[in-house]
Amino acid sequence: MAEEAIKLGGKRKSIFMDKVKELLPEGGNLNLCLTCGACSSGCPATGLEGMDPRKFLRMAALGMDDEIMSTPWTWMCTMCQRCIYVCPMKIDIPQLVFNARATWPREKRPKGILGSCDMALRNESRSAMGTSPEDFDFVVGDVLEEYQESQPEFAEMEAPIDKQGAEFFLNQNSREPVTEPDEMVPLWKILHLAGVNWTYGSKGWGGENYCMFLADNDAWETLTRTTINQADALGCETYLNTE
Amino acid sequence: MHCPVTAVNQYNLNLDDRRAAYIEYPQAVPLAFAIDTDTCIGCGLCENMCIAKAVDYADKERETKVQVGSVILSSGSQGFDPSGLDFLGYGKYPNVVTSEEYERILSASGPYFGHLMRPLDREEPKSVAWLQCVGSRDANRSGNGYCSSVCCMYAIKEAMISKEHAHSELDCAIFNMDMRTFGKDYEKYYNRARYKDGVRFVKARVHTITEVPETGDLTVKYTDETGAMQEEIFSMVVLSVGLKIPETSVELAKRLGIELNQYNFVETDPLRPVESSRPGVYTCGVFQGPKDIPGSITEASAAACLAGADIAEARGKDIEKVEVPEEVDVAGQEPRIGVFVCNCGINIGGIVDVPDVQEYSGTLPYVVFTDSNLFTCSQDTQDKIKEMIIEHQLNRLVVASCSPKTHEPMFMETLEACGINKYLFEMANIRNQNSWIHSNNPDIATAKAKELVRMAVARAATLRPLNEKVVYINKRALVIGGGIAGMNASLGLARQGFNVVMVEKEAELGGFSRKLHHTIEGKDIQAYLKALISDVTAEDKIRVLTEAQIVGFEGFKGSFATQVLVNGEREKIEHGIIIVATGGDEYKPKEFLYGEDARVMTQVELTDRLEEKGAGDLSTVVMVQCVGSRNEENENCSRICCQSAIKNALHIKKLNPDAQVFVLYRDIRSYGMLEDYYTEARRQGVIFIRFDKDAPPEVESGSDGVVVTVKDHILQQNVEITADILTLSAGMTAADTDDLSGVMKLNRNPEGFFIEAHVKLRPVDMPSDGIFLCGAAHGPKLISESIAQAQAAAARAVTFLAKEAIRLSAITAKVDVDHCVKCLTCVRSCPFDVPTFNEEEKVIEINEAICHGCGVCAGVCPRQAIQLSFYEDDQLIAKIDALLEAA
Ligand SMILES: Cc1cc2nc3c(=O)[nH]c(=O)nc-3n(C[C@H](O)[C@H](O)[C@H](O)COP(=O)(O)OP(=O)(O)OC[C@H]3O[C@@H](n4cnc5c(N)ncnc54)[C@H](O)[C@@H]3O)c2cc1C
Ligand code: SF4
Ligand code: SF4
Ligand code: SF4
Ligand code: SF4
Repeated sequence: MAEEAIKLGGKRKSIFMDKVKELLPEGGNLNLCLTCGACSSGCPATGLEGMDPRKFLRMAALGMDDEIMSTPWTWMCTMCQRCIYVCPMKIDIPQLVFNARATWPREKRPKGILGSCDMALRNESRSAMGTSPEDFDFVVGDVLEEYQESQPEFAEMEAPIDKQGAEFFLNQNSREPVTEPDEMVPLWKILHLAGVNWTYGSKGWGGENYCMFLADNDAWETLTRTTINQADALGCETYLNTE
Repeated sequence: MHCPVTAVNQYNLNLDDRRAAYIEYPQAVPLAFAIDTDTCIGCGLCENMCIAKAVDYADKERETKVQVGSVILSSGSQGFDPSGLDFLGYGKYPNVVTSEEYERILSASGPYFGHLMRPLDREEPKSVAWLQCVGSRDANRSGNGYCSSVCCMYAIKEAMISKEHAHSELDCAIFNMDMRTFGKDYEKYYNRARYKDGVRFVKARVHTITEVPETGDLTVKYTDETGAMQEEIFSMVVLSVGLKIPETSVELAKRLGIELNQYNFVETDPLRPVESSRPGVYTCGVFQGPKDIPGSITEASAAACLAGADIAEARGKDIEKVEVPEEVDVAGQEPRIGVFVCNCGINIGGIVDVPDVQEYSGTLPYVVFTDSNLFTCSQDTQDKIKEMIIEHQLNRLVVASCSPKTHEPMFMETLEACGINKYLFEMANIRNQNSWIHSNNPDIATAKAKELVRMAVARAATLRPLNEKVVYINKRALVIGGGIAGMNASLGLARQGFNVVMVEKEAELGGFSRKLHHTIEGKDIQAYLKALISDVTAEDKIRVLTEAQIVGFEGFKGSFATQVLVNGEREKIEHGIIIVATGGDEYKPKEFLYGEDARVMTQVELTDRLEEKGAGDLSTVVMVQCVGSRNEENENCSRICCQSAIKNALHIKKLNPDAQVFVLYRDIRSYGMLEDYYTEARRQGVIFIRFDKDAPPEVESGSDGVVVTVKDHILQQNVEITADILTLSAGMTAADTDDLSGVMKLNRNPEGFFIEAHVKLRPVDMPSDGIFLCGAAHGPKLISESIAQAQAAAARAVTFLAKEAIRLSAITAKVDVDHCVKCLTCVRSCPFDVPTFNEEEKVIEINEAICHGCGVCAGVCPRQAIQLSFYEDDQLIAKIDALLEAA
């Protein structure tokens, strides 16, 4: 055995998993693992960094808190929920992973996610690309005009922003207005043909929430609140999340 | 056969078709056609065809009222329906089947006639995977937290049978979390599958099954024990579905006003295992809780015992006695043989020319009457045979039909009813041994039928009337052992009105249970024992002998005599039956520093310690499972020790939630409802670490505690645990019964547990008639299971004791002492140890009361000095001569 033995026994110490259990309903069932491996058999992140969800949970259960809080694997979990879907004990591994992420110093967290979260915090668009409400307004108007002209059957099509009393509040992937503006159009067309009364918001239109993946609780709340407040202000009944 | 309607065959789980007029399955009782009114088009064909005029389309469901003394609920379960588990692909991929469907596929009466084929293309699979615990041990998708107890064993069985049926090498893999082979000798079966027959056992639960579209094969991905992702392709996947109580049973329970548990099994008290919440309503089998056949049969008898006690006063009332006429003396009469040839519907008549055979039989010597019948076994034919016997003064009867195994007793009864000795009967099996095999060749079948009849007639002429010995049943019972099983068996007998002598070798009653405190459910065992002992001692019909030793034994079923030594005096007890309940003990470990380090103790010792001192001073306790079980010395699983560990772990956590408990195990075998306690133990933070048989934990005495090192099965890394206490889950051993089994000649297995007549079907009978078995003497089991088996033994014994007398079969071996050369070949050959050498008279003796009539001795005797009555040499030679005659 190359590695040193894990030392257990003596007085019981409070461990990281105990804290997570307190946060979750039914303690996320974290204690109940049968070590059956259904989770790791279906997890897209199994094998990365020599880790998988079952091992991760096992380490947490054995109180190997340093390893749990330092393994980069926590950032490889896609939060897809495949594990909890089949787990016979309905163990909330994604939440355990999430809380492990939250223990990382903010600046140590992965640059890509961190940068995208910070971008979203820059202005009220909450776009991971940092696009301002004004720029968004301009791009949407510009593209719409182009299509209304070139495709007469869509001359009446709309892409409203901040339309008071619209039924659906739609968000938008941040990348498209910047890099692939034409990609926004197909959905507009569908909504138009279906006769849906919808709107974007000038605030909170950014769809993705990198701050959540970053496990930055305050920040992801800020992002989500911007969106919900705007939808409420416009009197929209339904929030359509396209992400 | 003629019904024009094709309907889905539900019995074969929709895998094939049947007609609207159908027999549900070949073993159905009664074996009669039914009409499926949902699909029948009412064309009238079967009504017109039926010779017996048995079809009545207007027949309706009727409600009938019956008055009963008690009700026994044994409505069992159905397989869990996995359609809702979308990730397993059942219902989507044809080659994913449930274990129930797979059973039908393997069955000779199944959709593929027993050929191993997969549904998609009827190809023989090259590999089959079983996924365990589908719809069991799953709180998430199915909500069934319990273990279904039977699926591990049936998966092994299915794998073994598949390997036998397959024409080329078949890869069988069983994906499991724990293999739960906890029944008597089950571990041996598991080991055989694993080490000898190459069934693979993979410790993994699979996430998703996908189909390979081109081939219909199935891809199974799983992470192995090292955490590596594996991908395997199987021709078929079998889902080992759990047992589930159907909605109809839930409604039934509601109507009867009995309580069910959270999973809809009947709520029972572990100390009253077959009693429902409503007096007079009993339960057994899977409705009581998940279990296999032997357990179900045992409980069935237990329920019968309690139901019988409720109505003990009415015993023998409402019975119609069959009057048998005085036997006609046929001695000296010339044989007058009647031959009845059966058509067996079209089974025989469709192939064999029955009228021809009948006519032929009329030409044979001594035959004075012949007839043929559509169904010779039907009631009206019996009446007709009786008339003919009397009218033609027949003194021998030959029936050419089916197997004597199933039908001989019935025809013999018909003879007796006419005052003819029943041994003046012979059968020719022209169905199983003829029309069924030669169905393609009617001419040969007819010719062979004639030969078989000629042989039968020849033998019939040589038959002699035989007298059956009548044994009057001694109504007293002897129960050996005064533990929980012995006492419950005694009470069961006494409450049904029979006298019991209960022999206990120790000074006190109670057995091993005196050392136990609570059941896992929290029942106070000592309080129960106290009440049980006082019930037993207060019961007039039970005589308790303590510090008693069995020193002599003779007799046979219905009439035994046993010598018991009590207080230095010998007493002879006469009795009609015996119940063996000698119990078991805790294994005394030799391993893991037991006896060397005071901090190492067994589970029973830990329980005492917790009762005395609590757990406040304990920081860490380690438990090691399977100590003295599942090894070279004792191959079997002790069944009770996983729950003992869980029970004590939960007790520690209750007394001191901060104490850490680690359980090092090989498979956790918390079967049935026990699974809930395993789940609860994990919820309380008990850590379970699996180790391999070949890499057991290492244990050292340290100054701060006992240091236990074991490899964690998930992290593949050693863990070193310093424990205040190391508890060994010592297995269960049989009581020392060397003397007893010597005196009474009762067979035990290599582990010292007594052997039952049939592992599956007769779990409380011993091979010799009139002797029954219960409790730990039979094999390791829980108190609840010992109680049920004790009640079962009492019920089985009562089926005997209730009779005034029994007639022993007249088919027994007899020694011609003048020709016997005393070579003792028979003594050595008899499988039942019946022939003995009488030292004084210098002769071989065969006690006809205990002779099974198997004929082995008659066959092996080099001097032909032994004759088996009814099968005497001249009778068999007559048959052979008759066969050769025509040739
Ligand atoms: C280690 C261990 C832990 C257990 N833990 C539990 C538990 O937690 N829960 C549970 O439900 N069950 C438990 N059991 C099982 C329980 O003890 C048995 O189910 C129960 O004791 C069986 O009862 P019995 O009457 O068959 O046998 P016993 O209790 O052994 O009684 C047999 C009696 O027969 C007597 N006897 C033996 N030979 C002779 C003879 N030749 N002549 C006359 N008398 C004889 C014996 O002295 C004894 O009094 C445990 C067993 C063991 C060994
Ligand atoms: S949520 Fe994370 S741990 Fe669970 S399966 Fe998805 S990637 Fe794996
Ligand atoms: S699926 Fe659930 S029970 Fe199984 S190993 Fe993963 S977390 Fe544990
Ligand atoms: S562990 Fe229990 S539920 Fe699972 S397959 Fe085995 S017997 Fe069935
Ligand atoms: S501890 Fe006992 S019950 Fe559990 S598997 Fe081992 S022998 Fe069987």
